[in-house]
Amino acid sequence: MLEFLEFAFMRKAILAVIVLSLGMAPVGCFLVLRRLSLAGEAMSHAAIPGIALAYALAGLSVLSMTLGGLIAGLGVALLSTLLARVTLLREDASMATLYLLALAGGIFLLSVRGTAVNLEGFLFGNVLGLSDGTLVLIGSSTTLTLLGMALILRPLVLQTVDPVFARSQSRHGWLIRSLFMILVVLNLIAGFRALGTLMAVGLMIVPATAARYWVNALTPMVVLAFVFGAGSGLLGLALSFWLDSVPSGPGIILVAGLVFLVSLAFGQNGLDLLGRLSGRRTRSTLSNNSKLGKDP
Amino acid sequence: MLSGEGLALGYGNNAVADGVDFSLSAGEILAVIGYNGSGKSTLVKSILGVTPLLGGRLHWSAGAPPAPIGYLGQLSEFDRRFPMRVIDLAATGGWAGLGFFQGAGRTTRRAAEAALEQVGLSDAATLPLHKLSAGQLQRALFARTIVQDARLIILDEPFAAVDQSTEADLMALILDWSRQGRALMVVLHNLSAVLEHCSAALLMGRGRSVYGPTREVLTPERLVDRGYMAADQAALIAAASSAGSGKGDGRA
Repeated sequence: MLEFLEFAFMRKAILAVIVLSLGMAPVGCFLVLRRLSLAGEAMSHAAIPGIALAYALAGLSVLSMTLGGLIAGLGVALLSTLLARVTLLREDASMATLYLLALAGGIFLLSVRGTAVNLEGFLFGNVLGLSDGTLVLIGSSTTLTLLGMALILRPLVLQTVDPVFARSQSRHGWLIRSLFMILVVLNLIAGFRALGTLMAVGLMIVPATAARYWVNALTPMVVLAFVFGAGSGLLGLALSFWLDSVPSGPGIILVAGLVFLVSLAFGQNGLDLLGRLSGRRTRSTLSNNSKLGKDP
Repeated sequence: MLSGEGLALGYGNNAVADGVDFSLSAGEILAVIGYNGSGKSTLVKSILGVTPLLGGRLHWSAGAPPAPIGYLGQLSEFDRRFPMRVIDLAATGGWAGLGFFQGAGRTTRRAAEAALEQVGLSDAATLPLHKLSAGQLQRALFARTIVQDARLIILDEPFAAVDQSTEADLMALILDWSRQGRALMVVLHNLSAVLEHCSAALLMGRGRSVYGPTREVLTPERLVDRGYMAADQAALIAAASSAGSGKGDGRA
């Protein structure tokens, strides 16, 4: 059953998803908590033309593709913030438009450029064919992420819970926000080779969302998100190894989706089915939510 | 502590108030009163340095703003679904003095515990924020302000969503702060509380402001003049206060 461990590419893949989850857990938790889940999705698509362009210009170089992705992803994020500020449209509308344009442009570039990059691998990931360069990218990204998050953790928490108070205490809010967005895009790009551009954001969002159903404090949420992410990565890899035709990205995210469903059903902040069946006295989440909505 | 001279407040080219003068010294409670949109929150943000002044000057008696400035603002952007316990929220008041990688240590934790006890929330210390009532949340935020231990404390409508008994408890805390020699600026709508507890008042409205001892500022004529209430409301108050012991009762 564990015969896949004998393959070097499989051991590389396992290392990649574990290290990737380590960086994606804290970033994903804040992405969810800051209500930026969909913006993260948008940015991952927005990075595609940058990667495609870098590939067209410099070939299959991890460094230039990373830089290209970073520039395009952050460019779309900044441009949509700017458009929201100077025009009537809200940020989500301009962001959706820009990332769709970017996605279309990226796929266009990749298709025109020819067959050297296989499009399916690009969109859905090919974790079983990771180069050493990609492993170095994932390792560096995670190291930078953990250091960066440790550096901005407190202001980031304040900004998320009570933005008005955070502004009253520090003039550097924009710097913290920008650093965080850079870390988001960095992790997305690190995840692209393994999970594909369509699925990378899933390893950030889904485990973090599932973790929130179980716990009510930040540290356990991040730890649990990592456990869920790495676990889904391992099972998903095995799945895509056993069933040849399943690409690794969707395999991993499907397992994460299963974890999400179980958390939704049984977590204390989810439907809490077991708690209800056993008649444990809990305040129902629904009435809680309606109350939240009314409060200032 | 600080004084403002000829402040022009607003955003971009839109001044909401001009020529605002006031002064606030240690141990004093300055009430800021005005209708919605009269520039109260803009004044608060300008003092905090969040919004630039359009004109005029702030004079800090120490030469520069104290750090930290205690602040409790409106909760429109507060996220009660953030995974955080009450004690952690109180402890965030002690984060200003910490270095980048430094963890919040035992001192902060103890300060947070003591603060929760002062606001009567010891039993709720480990509750997540989303389980709190509006009154409990406001108590928790007062605990955070206690942990901030600031010389200047600015409260923007601190009683907006709380019941009478919570308001009474929290008002007692504000009076404690003032007795400890802290300077307080409080945006309030409850005129009777202002008349009872605040030594000075800044009444804002219609682009102008009046500053002075509370009883001289909060006269029916001035309240009508600054657009805070209609003439017939003011007449009712005037009647009520002359029918009473002559002690002004500004209940609106």
